[in-house]
Amino acid sequence: MIAPLALIGLVSLPIIVAYYMLRLRRRDVPVGSTFLWQQLVRDVEANAPWQRLRFSWLLILQLLIALLVVVAAARPFLTVSSDLAGNVVLIVDTSASMGTIEDDTSRMAQAQAAARRVIGQLPEGGHVTVVAADDSAHVLVSDTDDRAAALAAVDGIVATQVPSDLTDAFALASALAARDSDSTVVVVTDANADRLPQVGIGAPVQVERVGATDANQAVAALSLLRRSGGAQLDLFVAVSNPSGVDMTRRLEIYADDVLVDARDLAIPAGQRSEALISSVPQGARVVEARLAGDDALAVDDRAFALVPSAGAARALLVGPGNAYLENALALLPRLELFAVGADGYMDALAAAVAAGKPYRIVIFDRTVPADPPTVPALYVGPAADGAFGTVGRVLDGPALDRTDPADPLLRFVDLSTLHIGRARIVTLTEGMRSVVTSVGGDPLVAVGRVDGLGLGVLSFALGDSDLPLQVAFPLLMSNLVDALLPSTDGILPPSVELGQPIAVSIDPAIRRVAAVTVASGERVELDVIGGRVTVPGARVTGLVDLQVVDDGTGHGGDSLGRTAANLFNPGESRVTPGDPTRIADLGRVGPAPGGEGLTARSEWWWPLAVVGLVLLLVEWFLFHRPTRRAVARRLRRGQPPASARASGGSR
Amino acid sequence: MTAPVAHAAEAGAGADLLFDEAFLRRLEQLELASRRLTVGRMKGERRSVRRGQSVEFADYRNYSAGDDLRQLDWNVYARLERLFVKLFVEEEDVTVHVLVDASRSMDFGEPNKLTFARRAAGALAYLGLVHLDRVSVAFLGDGRAINMRPLRGKARVFEVFKFLSEPRSERLTGVAAAARDYASRIRGRGPLILVSDLLDPGYLDALRDLAGTRCQLSVLHVLAPEELDPEVPRDARLVDNETGRGIEVTGDDDLVDRYRTRLGEWQEELAAFCSRRGGAYVSVASDVDLSDLLFDVLRRRKVIE
Repeated sequence: MIAPLALIGLVSLPIIVAYYMLRLRRRDVPVGSTFLWQQLVRDVEANAPWQRLRFSWLLILQLLIALLVVVAAARPFLTVSSDLAGNVVLIVDTSASMGTIEDDTSRMAQAQAAARRVIGQLPEGGHVTVVAADDSAHVLVSDTDDRAAALAAVDGIVATQVPSDLTDAFALASALAARDSDSTVVVVTDANADRLPQVGIGAPVQVERVGATDANQAVAALSLLRRSGGAQLDLFVAVSNPSGVDMTRRLEIYADDVLVDARDLAIPAGQRSEALISSVPQGARVVEARLAGDDALAVDDRAFALVPSAGAARALLVGPGNAYLENALALLPRLELFAVGADGYMDALAAAVAAGKPYRIVIFDRTVPADPPTVPALYVGPAADGAFGTVGRVLDGPALDRTDPADPLLRFVDLSTLHIGRARIVTLTEGMRSVVTSVGGDPLVAVGRVDGLGLGVLSFALGDSDLPLQVAFPLLMSNLVDALLPSTDGILPPSVELGQPIAVSIDPAIRRVAAVTVASGERVELDVIGGRVTVPGARVTGLVDLQVVDDGTGHGGDSLGRTAANLFNPGESRVTPGDPTRIADLGRVGPAPGGEGLTARSEWWWPLAVVGLVLLLVEWFLFHRPTRRAVARRLRRGQPPASARASGGSR
Repeated sequence: MTAPVAHAAEAGAGADLLFDEAFLRRLEQLELASRRLTVGRMKGERRSVRRGQSVEFADYRNYSAGDDLRQLDWNVYARLERLFVKLFVEEEDVTVHVLVDASRSMDFGEPNKLTFARRAAGALAYLGLVHLDRVSVAFLGDGRAINMRPLRGKARVFEVFKFLSEPRSERLTGVAAAARDYASRIRGRGPLILVSDLLDPGYLDALRDLAGTRCQLSVLHVLAPEELDPEVPRDARLVDNETGRGIEVTGDDDLVDRYRTRLGEWQEELAAFCSRRGGAYVSVASDVDLSDLLFDVLRRRKVIE
């Protein structure tokens, strides 16, 4: 028995018996006369404090109940062989997809049940560390042999809304396993994460996979664009259907919580549907897209977007002329586009400066100037070296390598069907990074900062690819401009993925700021160090407001900017459970620890508790039988036919 | 509902005994059954064993000196040449005895048994007075009978009501001794109606004494609803309303079932006793409507005609 001290409760048995032997303090019930009763009650006894113990089913039941409760409280167990090592690191996935509801049960509840089973199978003398893992690791109980504490920790786990990243948890597990050669790492997860940790663990990894359904649709993208010089607002919405069944979902658009559009979207299985909505009112500040109805995962059925301000920056397009590029840039509400040939570039710059309206960004199409501008620049299909790097030989038909969907530059951008006929090999200078890379490792799209200026480069001319024909083209252009040209809508990006921290530069005079979740009012105060602050990733979908707490003079309250936090994570929205062996393979392949003769304690107190509960119900039923009959009689007496009551006269 | 009879209140009758006018008018159409021919004191509306001057022929007897010559049957004399005197049934009054058990056990129940008994006794006494019978009403309790002088005539009804309404709180039961007391002092024969719960060890003695008066005994056995269908808590001490003594019981289904069986046997025993002595036994719950009792139950049991 795990808790033998509970057997002290056995003293309750003689107490119950003594209670039955004690004469009861009975309730006085007046009757007209005891004349008839005296003839019935044969066992009127002397007024002694004790009476003879008589057989009573109630007594038997109460003794049994007390015995069962005491034995159950002592937590008896059977010794069984265990598949686990003496040191168990239990990682419970708490990412957004674990909030999936299937068969009226959350996937998190299934995970908790699985975790409890693992703890129940701990070998004798074994100890466990419980880790909750979403995008980081949270140690709930460390290296304990107290199963009750471990179970309590498991019961307290809740699913979050952030994407899964088991890297931290695996690094932690690896470190814990390294301290004890007799270790097992157990991961309770739906195994649907896109990215697996690149961490090897020197111990066997067991995966308890939970979940079954794939019935989910998600708002996969939401973006607001200003057109016609800011006079028109266009809302781009994409709804994905990772399930295996074609679905039609109703998409509702709310502007400042007022419904402005609703439409049904047919979404083929495994694909996504997009909609361009122009009915967002000009004065709106926040737009929300919502999928009406229920599906397995609720967190990705809503997405928010902030309406950008109408002010536009002057941009100069330098090149021989490219209708696709001009149209894409002209569509960007942030830009007021001007175009010039390569030979008129310097004059255009000088004229703009003279007019007091300098260009804030320059886009070079198949042209590299000898004298680069002092503002951010984007080079499309450069044929010569520039500040971004050196241009080498031609690369024919480069195939795209796997792209990182989490990169903000590729937000909403689907390049899976992009074909490039010819590109140039570009060797990037320091400060530049490749965003889209060919299979051979050559950068196809890159951004970075060189000498404090934002630079971007596409190593292929638009005419050498079908990029201008892709839906992704204007979005990629928009993201590139956003990356190169800081926004005027505060210091925060307009949208951010859940869990993704934001590092921002800030007025060095400001000492303290607070990140406020608008919906809940929850605030996290942060110190500003050296004019920089890192805002921790949002944990729930919705708006986050960055506010000044102390501007250096003790004042605060001003908003520094807002951002919309959304899930927008294809891996989490695809709730279909993944292949557990992908995770198990990260562990050491070796002999099963159970083979070393370890044993576990299988507790069997709960059948006792169930039997005790049933007996308690039976005891209650027996105890209240007279009351129930009295109530029934009283109910019957509620409709007495008067003559029937006097029918005793016929006796 | 019709208004109560105004002069009933003036006579000081208790509120419990107030009967509305329609009820009393209906009541006047009834009559207490008197299956035995009795010897009365005054001329009334009932047949007597005495031969008298009614129009109903009874018998002949030989003429003797001093007989009223108007009673001679001259037709018989013409045929037989012998003098015979015609005898007629004498119509005389009877005495209606209404006895109310006023022991403490009657002062119990919801509705109260004693209150019910007073009202029933009042109605029965009114029946007797309406039909010019002499009515004797008495309370039994404390080992003796407390009765008012016999009354006759409808106008005396309020004296009866007042007597029945007077508070009675007898401390002891002693129904047997009280019945014997009444039986020993009884004057006039006629229907004798005992309204009692009979919850007294001497109940059979009481019935025997009353039956021995040669009155026509009717027993109105009043029990409260909670006595007919008791609810006993699991661990209870039943406290006697008369003696204050208690007995401890375990109120399970078995006890209640046994009580009901015993009660049924007891009622059978009482019914058999009354039947053997030509009387009537009527068991009634104190929540029964008085109209149902008088116009239905007692008529079916031939206590009232």
